[in-house]
Amino acid sequence: MKYAQLIKLLVARDLTIRYKRSVIGIGWTLLNPMLTSIVMWFVFSFVFASRLPSGQQFAPYLMAGILLNTFFNQGLMLSAESIASNGGVLTKIYVPPQIFAISSALAGLVNFFIGMIPLAVVCFLSGQSLAWSLPLVLIVGFCLAFLVAGLGLALSIVFIRFDDTRNIVNVLLMILMYLTPIFYPISVMNPTMQHIIRLNPLTSYLEVFRWAFSNNAFPTWHNWAYMFITAACSFILGASIFKKFWPRTVAML
Amino acid sequence: MAVVEINNVNLTYRVLMNRRGSIRDLFKEAVAGRARIVNYVALQDVSFTVDAGEVVAILGRNGAGKSTLLKILAGVLPPTKGTVKVTGAIAPMIELGAGFHPEMTGAENVVFYSALMMRDIKKVKARVADIGEWAGVSDHMNFPLRTFSSGMIARLAFSTATDVQPEVLLIDEVLAVGDADFKEKSGARMTDLITSGAAVVLVSHDMVAVRRLANRAIWLENGHVRMSGEANEVVDAYEAG
Repeated sequence: MKYAQLIKLLVARDLTIRYKRSVIGIGWTLLNPMLTSIVMWFVFSFVFASRLPSGQQFAPYLMAGILLNTFFNQGLMLSAESIASNGGVLTKIYVPPQIFAISSALAGLVNFFIGMIPLAVVCFLSGQSLAWSLPLVLIVGFCLAFLVAGLGLALSIVFIRFDDTRNIVNVLLMILMYLTPIFYPISVMNPTMQHIIRLNPLTSYLEVFRWAFSNNAFPTWHNWAYMFITAACSFILGASIFKKFWPRTVAML
Repeated sequence: MAVVEINNVNLTYRVLMNRRGSIRDLFKEAVAGRARIVNYVALQDVSFTVDAGEVVAILGRNGAGKSTLLKILAGVLPPTKGTVKVTGAIAPMIELGAGFHPEMTGAENVVFYSALMMRDIKKVKARVADIGEWAGVSDHMNFPLRTFSSGMIARLAFSTATDVQPEVLLIDEVLAVGDADFKEKSGARMTDLITSGAAVVLVSHDMVAVRRLANRAIWLENGHVRMSGEANEVVDAYEAG
């Protein structure tokens, strides 16, 4: 594909530019999820650790959730902002604008994979082993990248047209985070809440991810199906919304 | 053969009056039933062709639609109506250095900028040293761009943009950059690029340059073609008023 070299450069730039001035550079990609996890572990382990099914450790359970949620939140915001922030390029040189949103999602994916290294360490430290199904995390990662890219494409149009939507989306993302079983086991909720939480697609991604990584959850085929369907729908819908509205939106950059 | 061909191109900007981009304002105005969208016609029924080896200048006052027209030719702005056909590799010389990032080094920026223009980066990587040398910034290529002076950035952007002979050259006022010495050098290179067989569309207020370089000229006024023809004739009429 003739845009492959540009996508590669964009992903590399996204990954390195943030840390250009820092001492340990891309090491922060390893450190960040760990630090967040440690803080949340201190806060929540007293409450929820004992509520997990026996044989499951809270630390890897929590960190898997944080890793996946970081990918979704950061990836989505960066992807949605990418078109506007590259407006300077897009109004001068013809590049398919979708490339920027897709590259941001892919950069999030790479971060997600890098973050699995400390997750594996935490797994071992807490006495859990990695599962034989580990390669399946690739599927979860790519599905999530499709979900992020699709939503990011659609949102990027909205962001350019209405500035205020950024703040609204931030609030929605926070609500979505609490509706994802990141730091609590889904069983602590009452049946109605459990139902709502299961409607959140991220719950399915997370269930599959935890199971694939270290058998730390028990996804049903519903979870798998929901993951594939939301990924495909998001990408197809997002791409077509973008295509439809871009010609009018580019004039606003 | 026409390398650039545009037919009855119209471009209408839809402008939201009092647009502050806020949903609240939009909502208030929608409720009040005030007319919010105003159509602003930037280009109307513009048609022309450019053959390989031909240099067409676009003249007109500020706001006549010259830059909009170049953006349509570059493919970054889709026309509201009409068709645009451009064959071959386009070098858009519209505000050089788009995509330059202050935290990346000179060399990295050259590669990235070239990739944006769809050049093969394997070839570009072999050319980076030459590009830096031509720009006179060899010693700085491995430092972040933020350590460059603005003149150095302009020279590096020019050197990168003009490194490859394109089939279609779209120029928005970029005929030379930098200090006196570099102006001469870059002006000469630009003249080479323009006169070496590409199809060129040139936007400039420099009538001397237009007379020297262009075969044909198109005079735009408020988005319409007011006059089109042999360059000297159109420039004469334009300068007369």
